[in-house]
Amino acid sequence: MAKVKSAAFKKASARAVRDEGIQHALTHVMDHFTEARAEAIATDYSDESWEAMRTRAAAIKAHTIGNLDYYLDLADRSVRRNGGHVHFADDAAAATQIVIDIAKRHGVKRAIKSKSMVSEEMGLNDALERAGIEPVETDLGEYIIQLAGETPFHIIAPAMHKTRGEVSDLFHDWLKSAPTSDIARLCSIARDALRKHFETAEMGITGANFVIAETGTVVIVTNEGNGRMTTSTPRVHVAIAGMEKLLPAIEDLPLFLRLLPRSATGQRTTSYTSFISGPRAASDEDGPEEFHLIFVDNGRLNLLKDEVLREALSCIRCGACLNHCPVYRKVGGHAYGWVYSGPIGAVVTGPMTGMKQAADLPYASTLCGACRDVCPVKIDLPKLLLHLRHRHAEGSPRDERTGTWMERLYMRRWHDAVKTRGALERSTRLGRLLQKPLVRRGKLRSLPLPLVSGWTKDRDFPALAPKPFRQIWKEGLGGDSDAG
Amino acid sequence: MPVDEHPNKAAFLQRVREALGRSEPLLHMPDHPTLKSALPRQEEKVRTVRARVEVSRARNIKRLAETATEASWYVHGPVAAEDAADVVAEIATGLRAKRVVRSSEDVFRRVNVDGALRRSGISATVLASGRSRDRSTLKALAFEADLGITGVTYAIAETGTCVVTPRKGVARLTSLAPPAYIALVEADQVLGSMDDYFALTRLAHQKSRGRVPTYVNFISGPSRTADIEQTLTIGVHGPGVVHMVLIA
Repeated sequence: MAKVKSAAFKKASARAVRDEGIQHALTHVMDHFTEARAEAIATDYSDESWEAMRTRAAAIKAHTIGNLDYYLDLADRSVRRNGGHVHFADDAAAATQIVIDIAKRHGVKRAIKSKSMVSEEMGLNDALERAGIEPVETDLGEYIIQLAGETPFHIIAPAMHKTRGEVSDLFHDWLKSAPTSDIARLCSIARDALRKHFETAEMGITGANFVIAETGTVVIVTNEGNGRMTTSTPRVHVAIAGMEKLLPAIEDLPLFLRLLPRSATGQRTTSYTSFISGPRAASDEDGPEEFHLIFVDNGRLNLLKDEVLREALSCIRCGACLNHCPVYRKVGGHAYGWVYSGPIGAVVTGPMTGMKQAADLPYASTLCGACRDVCPVKIDLPKLLLHLRHRHAEGSPRDERTGTWMERLYMRRWHDAVKTRGALERSTRLGRLLQKPLVRRGKLRSLPLPLVSGWTKDRDFPALAPKPFRQIWKEGLGGDSDAG
Repeated sequence: MPVDEHPNKAAFLQRVREALGRSEPLLHMPDHPTLKSALPRQEEKVRTVRARVEVSRARNIKRLAETATEASWYVHGPVAAEDAADVVAEIATGLRAKRVVRSSEDVFRRVNVDGALRRSGISATVLASGRSRDRSTLKALAFEADLGITGVTYAIAETGTCVVTPRKGVARLTSLAPPAYIALVEADQVLGSMDDYFALTRLAHQKSRGRVPTYVNFISGPSRTADIEQTLTIGVHGPGVVHMVLIA
């Protein structure tokens, strides 16, 4: 599996905030995404109808996830009826082994890949290389980060943090191309390099945006055409899908094909949507002779088991929650330390890879709710983040718990201090007394207590008002108010 | 011949089931409208779709021309069938195409593309097996061509989409590998929305007892990317120039 570096979130995000290149890219790209999305939706839909579509999509996904065993079985039978092979992989290692076994059986030396987030989870490229198979990413953004030896910065724009100059340098190093600042020229350099691979590669590996259970169809949404190439030219096609990617029947699709491109890139539709149902037929002129679909768990069961977190499995990976998240917009994708970033990454990384190492991620949110408002399948991300915080603070199993005994002590005292009206009045009276020596112009410059002193390191803390609002209200608002 | 079940399937499904709080498989198909619609109901639905498509044909064609243009297709027509071949030849000449590949399907009987191209001094190769052409020859022809021409199965007004299904005479690569592509769309192929299309295809699946086309492709404009500095660039791996010829 791809290495998880989420434990270093605080350090990595501090570094990202100071990185001018990353800040520049984030400032420009994020607004571009959010504006394009808003415009694409407003062009075709009223607020009410978009809202109704989101509600319907959420219900369809919840239904599918709630009956996932049934739909996995149905999909398995449908794909095999179409002449395809279906595999069930518990974890990244098992899925990787399945891919390598297929490749070895066909004597594959080189595999072309269309963008797949699950394969990023698996760290598939490294594993293929170790097995003597050369993986070539064919999505332009993925190709760039493969050359750079990095992980995706963004779910749908993996190389958004790279400038044209950096891309030109990479192409110069790896492809011996002449340096250029012309983006069209850079695209055509990549096109030429990759076309050779399309003509000769023996195996194509793709992800799946959706898998239709009733017909055993893998749906792939792309703009570049690399998904079509990857599934057309090689002799073997292997599709890798998270087990939650299912939809019951083909007529569920139009709704999702309307929601996904608008939410992701602000397009009415992507250039290509491909529906693959098994290997080529005898009457087809071309296409793969063998088709494999691998359903991957890799920690998704931990989301499924938790009735609150289960909702995260509805995600269709559009990236809208990243684009609208004030935290992602500052720290970018790499700080989150694994494959998924932004609010959805903050939710799934812990449960999928180990709660403790990702303990900081649920706190990488202001809980402003922007992510929930734009999510095309209405995942209540703030609720899920709070739920994870709760699990960290009080959860079972106990070894998931993070935080210190002192933190817990403070929280218990806080709870005692505010739980009834009487307690609140008593504790504010006490507080007013204790704060007296520290107040300067209505603010506390420092809180001389262990743990909380960090709050006042870079800013002042508002002091308790001399007179509570309750009392001012009682005396009449126009009264002699010195409330600040 | 059925393909074997994966050895881990039963255990995998059991774990999913238990995570959902059940120990046994469901006894019945879960209640979901798009899955439940049986053949007679689907037939009725499709009758409604066909009637709607029939009465709104003119409007759908007009809308298709708009959405396709917005998706960066060059849209031509609607033109009469006898004029369509000349439109194709004009486009090919304008592109300075020398190596043209096309599919082999019905529309080319109504639209004499070969004749019109020949008059412009261009010869089209039919990209279909048979004439002792194997897989790698087909691939090489597609990759060397500078223009591909196919008919479509349907076109969708909602999204500016041509639906292309590979079948005898239609290679996947004809509409993909050359840098330019022409789609021939006949009026009776134009549908209003994606819902129309999927209602029709589901009925076809049901009627053929679950047999589905191996591959369906929605083409909605040129190949494009914005992966470098969010700058839109066309023609990455697929055609950068796409023409839609509407035939009345």
